[in-house]
Amino acid sequence: MTLIFIVIGCLLGLLVGFLLPTIPYSASTYLAIAIIAALDSVFGGFASYVKKNFDMKVFVSGFFVNAILAMLLTYLGEKLNVDIYLAAIIVFVGRMFNNLGIIRRYFLYKLDEKSQAKKSSKIKDSTTENK
Amino acid sequence: MRKEKSFRIIMAIICFILTMAITLQIRTMTKKTSTVSSGTQNSDLVDSLLEWQEKYDKITKKLEKSSELLESEREEAANQDQEKQEKTDELKKYNMLLGLTDVSGEGITITAKDGTVNKATDNISSYLVHDADLREIVNELANAGAEAISINDQRIVSSTSITCAGNIISINGEKVSSPFVIKAIGNQESLYGALSRPGGYIALMKEDLPVDIKKSNNIQIKKYTGAFTKKYIKSTSDKE
Repeated sequence: MTLIFIVIGCLLGLLVGFLLPTIPYSASTYLAIAIIAALDSVFGGFASYVKKNFDMKVFVSGFFVNAILAMLLTYLGEKLNVDIYLAAIIVFVGRMFNNLGIIRRYFLYKLDEKSQAKKSSKIKDSTTENK
Repeated sequence: MRKEKSFRIIMAIICFILTMAITLQIRTMTKKTSTVSSGTQNSDLVDSLLEWQEKYDKITKKLEKSSELLESEREEAANQDQEKQEKTDELKKYNMLLGLTDVSGEGITITAKDGTVNKATDNISSYLVHDADLREIVNELANAGAEAISINDQRIVSSTSITCAGNIISINGEKVSSPFVIKAIGNQESLYGALSRPGGYIALMKEDLPVDIKKSNNIQIKKYTGAFTKKYIKSTSDKE
């Protein structure tokens, strides 16, 4: 059910994204950094969901505040002539890989558990047959 | 139950925002990079070029607004005074002749396109519209009494140059490319007659290229958007 909502949201976003006029080129740096920040939040949310300490408030506030902060930092960097957005990207992408690792481990663990269960049930079966 | 519902809606909203932003960004990037050459390595140069282009567009729009304002102010000021009224009319007339206002009237439209090469042995160059072709046409139009001429909305004014710039043609410093739509205002019959005469330049061009001449009663020609420079010229009649 939640998946349906997510898919609908994605499709709507795709549609609106295609219909909206393209943004000016100088603003695209900000949008890019905001996208990276938002993606980081999404992966972070997924990872915390997997770890079972998911909090909606933390997730939503992280999504928006991180994106806005990243844009502000980029703006500051532009004013100071320092590419601060590079630091933001490194942090965000680094965290993204971390979270992806957590998610991967979770699924690997799950898979492992399943095969283990299958094996044990098979052994049980064979033992009952032998009897 | 309520918590579940709000969770779903928030998820949907977040996915919506994220995908929208990503599509927008991808569209912006593909659109912007395709206007420059696609294989460009030097992204810094591309960046600054695009920024300047944006600035240029903005400034041009501002200029347009300002000149509109100037025009309305002038009219307002002239409304009260007969003498000023005359001066304004004169100014308007000269601006029109200089090519600084949009004009319309009867005239002809010539459309010239690059031809298609049929045989491998053909000389490709003879199937392209060259700067010299355009100069020749403009010359013939002016000779036939055209009062205003434009090529792809580039007004031909006193400072206009038509030059070859690689695979495109530069007119007034702006790039134009095939198909070329040449508009001219003047006596329809004499313009048409002069341009379509047998043995004329267009008849010659027609051997290799698709050239089309059309008469029209309402030709719209846009104003010259560039700037006139007067760094070196001085009026000889003005005594200080």
